[in-house]
Amino acid sequence: MNVLGIAVTAGHFLAGEEIVVDSQGHVTTHSWILPETAEIIWGGLASLIIFFLLVKFAGPAIKKGMAARTQRIQDQLDGAAQAKAAATAEAAQIRQAKGDIAAERSRIMAEAEAQAAAIRQDSAARLASELADLEAKGHADIAAARGRVGDELRSEIARLSSAAVDHVVSGSLDESTHQDLIEQFISRLEAMA
Amino acid sequence: MSDPRIDGYARALFEVARAEGNIDTVEDELFRFARTYESNDDLRNALTDEMIPATRRLSIVEDLLGPKANPTTTQLVSMVIGAGRGRDLPAIVDRLVARASTAKSQEVAEVRTAVPLSEDQQARLAAGLAKATGKQVNLKVVVDPTVLGGLVATVGDTVIDGTVRTRIDQLKSRL
Repeated sequence: MNVLGIAVTAGHFLAGEEIVVDSQGHVTTHSWILPETAEIIWGGLASLIIFFLLVKFAGPAIKKGMAARTQRIQDQLDGAAQAKAAATAEAAQIRQAKGDIAAERSRIMAEAEAQAAAIRQDSAARLASELADLEAKGHADIAAARGRVGDELRSEIARLSSAAVDHVVSGSLDESTHQDLIEQFISRLEAMA
Repeated sequence: MSDPRIDGYARALFEVARAEGNIDTVEDELFRFARTYESNDDLRNALTDEMIPATRRLSIVEDLLGPKANPTTTQLVSMVIGAGRGRDLPAIVDRLVARASTAKSQEVAEVRTAVPLSEDQQARLAAGLAKATGKQVNLKVVVDPTVLGGLVATVGDTVIDGTVRTRIDQLKSRL
């Protein structure tokens, strides 16, 4: 028999009720659903005492725990709300930044294309200018080379002509010619006087 | 531009020749040797090369001039070469000739000709130059085949050119 059984038996005994116990020690009540009167009385008193003790001593602690839990949950709810607001703001910023990035990308692309176009145009103009310069220089070089070759040719002709004249003249000057030239010079001197 | 060293050598050579009493001969021989020296690269290089011993250079002078020239001429050239002044020899001789001419109240008349002149031609040439320039001239004849033919006379700053070379050069210029 357990402690409750003992207490119930004791209650029956104090209430003057007949207690029926079988051979195996099991207590048999008069009703299958209603406890014994004594059990109701004692059980009720015990329940009231326990309820009172709970209200008296455990109530504030429970209240405090509940309040703390409520506050903690409220704090968590507030934190979650704040986190949600922050996330929403950040999402807005990200969306804005994304929009800005797209606009910046478009601007950079447009600027790059403009620069590329300018560079292409500038390169084309410079190339054309260099080609023109090269062509002009080529014409000038050709003209200079033509003139130089002509000069060299004239110089060579003059040199050969000079050598030929020297050769012919020196070969044609015999002794009598030399003497004639000397006499002509002396006569010229005498005439000058 | 006058070089005091060249003037000093020229004065020394002139005084030696004059002291020896043969200034005309020595002057003439020195003039002709100087012209030969100017036109002959091998001779000029041999007499100015300091790697050749001085005794060897002097023996070259002796071999060239000894048998033909006046001993005073040979000694004066040897003195200049031996003193290591071979490069200045033509200038020294020209200064000496000018000094000798001045002493005789004459002007040096350098005549370049393709062929040698006879005594008669030289005399008539000197007379003609004297008349043409109004100065007494000390005629110095240089045989120079590069003139081809004719003569060119230089008296001081006056040049009278009758060479074939000059006529050919004028023709070339026109061409």
